[in-house]
Amino acid sequence: MREYGLLGSNILDSDFSFEIKIKEGAGAFVCGEETALIGSIEGKRGMPRSRPPFPAIAGLFGSPTIINNVETLGTLPNILRNGPDWYTRFGKEGNRGTKTFSLVGKIRRPGLIEVQLGTTLREIIFDIGGGVQKPFKAIQTGGPSGGCLSEEFLDLTVDYESLASAGSIMGSGGLIVMDEDTCIVDLAKYFLDFTQKESCGKCVPCRVGTKHILEILQRITEGEGSPDDLLALRTLGDTIKKGALCGLGQTAPNPVLTTLRYFRNEYLEHIKDHTCRATVCKSLIEYRVIKEKCTGCQSCVRVCPTGAITGPRSEPHNLDASKCIKCRSCYEICRYDAIAGDAIVIRTAERQS
Amino acid sequence: MPEQIRRILGKHGRSPDELIPILQDVQAAFGYIGEESVKAISRYLRISENQIYGVSSFYAQFRFTEPGRHGIKVCLGTACHVRGGGTLLDMLERGLDIHCGETTEDKRYDLDRVACLGCCALSPVVQIDRDIYSRMTVNKLTELLKNYE
Amino acid sequence: MTKEKKVSITIDNRKVEAKAKTTILQAARDNNIDIPSLCALEHLPSYGACRLCVVEVDGIRGFPTSCTTPVEDGMVIRTDTAEVRTLRQEVLKLLLSEHPASCLFCEEQTDCKNFQGTIRKVGVTTGCRYCPNDDMCELQEVTKKVGLTETSYPVYYRNFPVEKEDPFYDRDYNLCLLCGRCVRVCNDVRLNGTLSFKQRGKMTTIGPAFGRSHLEAGCEFCGACVAVCPTGALSAKASKWSGKPDEVVESTCPYCPIGCTLDLKVKAGEVVDVSADYDSPTEHGLICVKGRFAIPEYVLSPDRLARPTILKPEGYDFLPWEEALDEAAAKLKAAGPKNTFVVVSPQLSNEDLFVAQRFAREVIGTEAILSSVIFDLGSDLRSFVDLVVMSEQIDTIEETKGILTIGLDTTYGFTPLGIAVKKAAKKGAILVTVSEHECNLDMLSEEAFQSDAAKWPEFMDGIMKSMSGNGTRKSKAAAPLFKKGDRNVVIIGPDAVFSGKRKEIFERVLAMRDNLGWKVIVCHPYTNLMGMLAMGALPGLKPGGLKSDGVLKLKDPAGVVDLKQNRKVGYFIGEAPSPEMPKCEYLIYENALPAPSGFDPNLILPAGLFTESPGTTISSEGKILTFNRASAPFAESKPDWWIISGIAARMKKGALKYSSLAAIQSEIKKSIPGFSGKERRVPRKKVVMEGKAAAAGNPFGPCRDAAAPAAFRGVPLHDHVAGMKAIEERRHK
Repeated sequence: MREYGLLGSNILDSDFSFEIKIKEGAGAFVCGEETALIGSIEGKRGMPRSRPPFPAIAGLFGSPTIINNVETLGTLPNILRNGPDWYTRFGKEGNRGTKTFSLVGKIRRPGLIEVQLGTTLREIIFDIGGGVQKPFKAIQTGGPSGGCLSEEFLDLTVDYESLASAGSIMGSGGLIVMDEDTCIVDLAKYFLDFTQKESCGKCVPCRVGTKHILEILQRITEGEGSPDDLLALRTLGDTIKKGALCGLGQTAPNPVLTTLRYFRNEYLEHIKDHTCRATVCKSLIEYRVIKEKCTGCQSCVRVCPTGAITGPRSEPHNLDASKCIKCRSCYEICRYDAIAGDAIVIRTAERQS
Repeated sequence: MPEQIRRILGKHGRSPDELIPILQDVQAAFGYIGEESVKAISRYLRISENQIYGVSSFYAQFRFTEPGRHGIKVCLGTACHVRGGGTLLDMLERGLDIHCGETTEDKRYDLDRVACLGCCALSPVVQIDRDIYSRMTVNKLTELLKNYE
Repeated sequence: MTKEKKVSITIDNRKVEAKAKTTILQAARDNNIDIPSLCALEHLPSYGACRLCVVEVDGIRGFPTSCTTPVEDGMVIRTDTAEVRTLRQEVLKLLLSEHPASCLFCEEQTDCKNFQGTIRKVGVTTGCRYCPNDDMCELQEVTKKVGLTETSYPVYYRNFPVEKEDPFYDRDYNLCLLCGRCVRVCNDVRLNGTLSFKQRGKMTTIGPAFGRSHLEAGCEFCGACVAVCPTGALSAKASKWSGKPDEVVESTCPYCPIGCTLDLKVKAGEVVDVSADYDSPTEHGLICVKGRFAIPEYVLSPDRLARPTILKPEGYDFLPWEEALDEAAAKLKAAGPKNTFVVVSPQLSNEDLFVAQRFAREVIGTEAILSSVIFDLGSDLRSFVDLVVMSEQIDTIEETKGILTIGLDTTYGFTPLGIAVKKAAKKGAILVTVSEHECNLDMLSEEAFQSDAAKWPEFMDGIMKSMSGNGTRKSKAAAPLFKKGDRNVVIIGPDAVFSGKRKEIFERVLAMRDNLGWKVIVCHPYTNLMGMLAMGALPGLKPGGLKSDGVLKLKDPAGVVDLKQNRKVGYFIGEAPSPEMPKCEYLIYENALPAPSGFDPNLILPAGLFTESPGTTISSEGKILTFNRASAPFAESKPDWWIISGIAARMKKGALKYSSLAAIQSEIKKSIPGFSGKERRVPRKKVVMEGKAAAAGNPFGPCRDAAAPAAFRGVPLHDHVAGMKAIEERRHK
């Protein structure tokens, strides 16, 4: 653009000058927070700063600064070209226009979509997304800062207020669909693990609080949870939400708080029954060969990475649990329903064709 | 100051906000941020070496040790996690006998986890050097690694 | 006088006034409302990390931190609601889960005193009783304030090894709260940059790059981080287990002419620790390693001379003061004025110097008042004194546009000056450094000229030429670095003062000052050189030479006294003999610590130190500063002036009958300007050399080595202060 005189001083010989400088981030989720972003551009550690003063008053290099996402800036040309009335046709009151989403997970047609704000989750998942193969369990919106919504929210409209009132957020538009093969406690643990790694470490509630939450979730997924843990999770979540310095910390408890609210039973199953109904939490499941069904085809023997399954051709195989790393390879390759993964009560895993 | 570092510095201004772009250029050239580079940057930008280290160690992109010949990055973004990315990492840790973030003894592989490669619809995804592999499974991965000496 | 703007705010239903540019936290404290906090500290930029100081403010969402939020007119603030209190307690519980605090809530915390003698020897801090900061800890205070009585979170002991390899202070990061005070004070106040946060999240640690030692990383060991640390994570080695001090005595540092204010911490009658005073107008609290850490071990050294001692054929023997003074008087009298000399230390107090020169002149009858200054500077003494007396004040550096430093590294000395230079450079002043090795000011310099001292005069010529517009500089820059008409300052460091090219360097600095308008500052180790000039403690210089009119007429010492002649009796006051000084048959050694080996004094008179014997000194800026008594004189040691007066009385009846310090001071007030009156500053003026011209070159052989270790009263600090060994080794790299 510079070569053509479309950027820089006195563009096309007018008295309008405009400069663009591109700076690459260096790998820190927290730098999505505006003051941390400013810090990163200034060549410092990406640690958020207290406000006031707000960036509009004193931001980058101490100067007044406006900060916008690329998505926002990307909609501007269309609005300017087609006019505001064209744009406000889409969406609903207070939530005009469209939003892009990344619709992924256990869905038939994952990909990037753009819908009007106010579209229902049901329409997005089952119409646009082509629906799910196994029974629907939950949808996670807003990434690690968002929440998990259960089946009862399928008719929720996708807009800022509705999502917030359900305990989640819009965020940058992540929509992850989950089915019965996703353990909700493991998912909460996964998000907290992420937030812990990405926390800048400046403020106590986020740095230390998320560590405790993660530790509790770890124990629960290992079958070492206790009923007190649920209250502890709520208290910690509350403290972090109120006390954290920036948005990363303030929204970090959302996955835990929403899953506690909408999937409480799954937590209790892990704690009281030592069961992981999605057969994900490795400490709570065990793989074994169902001898009656095994034909000795050796498919599983070939794929097992640790050699835990042994046995000659045409004879039921043996699975040495001590070597099993629960990678699911055998389960997925077995054509005869002969591998079962379970908690303490052994049950046969179902396979959908 | 080695000529290569001098050339990199010459492409940037001497203000502190050039630090991260300079570090990125240094890492691109040498594969990691070494002590000599930090010393040169310190003099150039007039910031102490300790502050430079403090900034670069904050960001996931920068490393301070020489990398292996091939970098394996397992994506563990939400979509990949939900589709078994964790198992891939597990298997790699076992197979290569290193932890995430380490380099194999023969310097053949680095193993890292990354938060999201942006190919969520093709999960689970693994990147080796500059190649992206989608819909990975444990077995496919084992085969693939044989191609990287 | 302009009135500070005030705003009206409401705190906890009380309408109060607050200064316009303060934070809520400060405004609350100004009105006696104490909001608990840990990471906030006066003199440091606010950080907002601990989240303990949260409050509720009408119109601001959530719970803002009062340490970062500025007040606004009409603000309504609530500091003590139920929600705020609960939040503080929960945050504190989280904080404590990362900090071994087992004693905080233990029922036996006071009764375990029976075992406390051994508890501290465990070596690992698992609770308050094991911690060097017990009873002085801000975390303990905050826990009480917030009203926490129990915590249910598991404690994560991070298992860092305690860092003990560096001198002066230990670091146990298992106790660290990551409040960032140390990082802020090191970077924003001291402008040093040794400490930084590393990594992020729960992996965050604090320290230098690449895991280097603090010594390698350029730490000045100023102890500022130790002072601001709210927990026991950072603790000074020498005073670790002393506990809470009984009192704090304000005094002055005797180690160099800057004369920093020091707060001496006294416990059980001994000076155990030192802290800086950030409100001091002299150095603004920016003291160096010597003043900060090298005083208690020096003053309390096991080698302190305790009793008068005499050398007999069989060896050393103690004797009472009366006999010792008799002996000294007898020997001095018998030798006569032509066969004695007196050596004074440039680090003595004004009062001691005054009495010493009166003793030499009126009681012995000699002008042989010798000192290390004379022998170190040789024929360059006049120019040296000229440059020293007319030195600029440190505070003026901030406004300069150009700074040239020669032979100066301010890591382990002259730190207030070094920091002023760094501040000016950051504000845009052109800084050029000249030195033999890398120095700490190089990083901010425009150009760092590193070469043998032999090349320094030539470099200075180049600078001067470029300023007058003729000739080109030796380097690539076409334009001259320093502009005539700008405010420029040249700072001469000790490496230049003690280099082989000193004469040439002084010549050029004088030319820069007198012809090109440069300001000059000289950094040297002679603490009370100004006092020597004021009190007349040089051969041929009478007291009151620094009068308010005319010039300072300095005589060349070599012209007044035969400096090479060996004599019968030498009386060393607060100084150790050195090879350049004349030899004597009978050596009277009056000092606090033994002389370096190789000298066996015939008579040893134990002297008190500046922490025990009050007095005054004159700083390089001409300010009259005070040494205040912080502890009783050690064993049988006496003030120098007392000893000298005692000998005088036995030599000449009625001479120097000083019964108290006050008596000396009232006499000084009469004859020396600046000592009476409110200003407390001596006038400074041009120096001319009178009398016989000095011989060219230094008649005393090779000049003092630039690398001579830091010393006080002739005794190297590193002989008695453990950490100074590492410092001296590092200086010589």
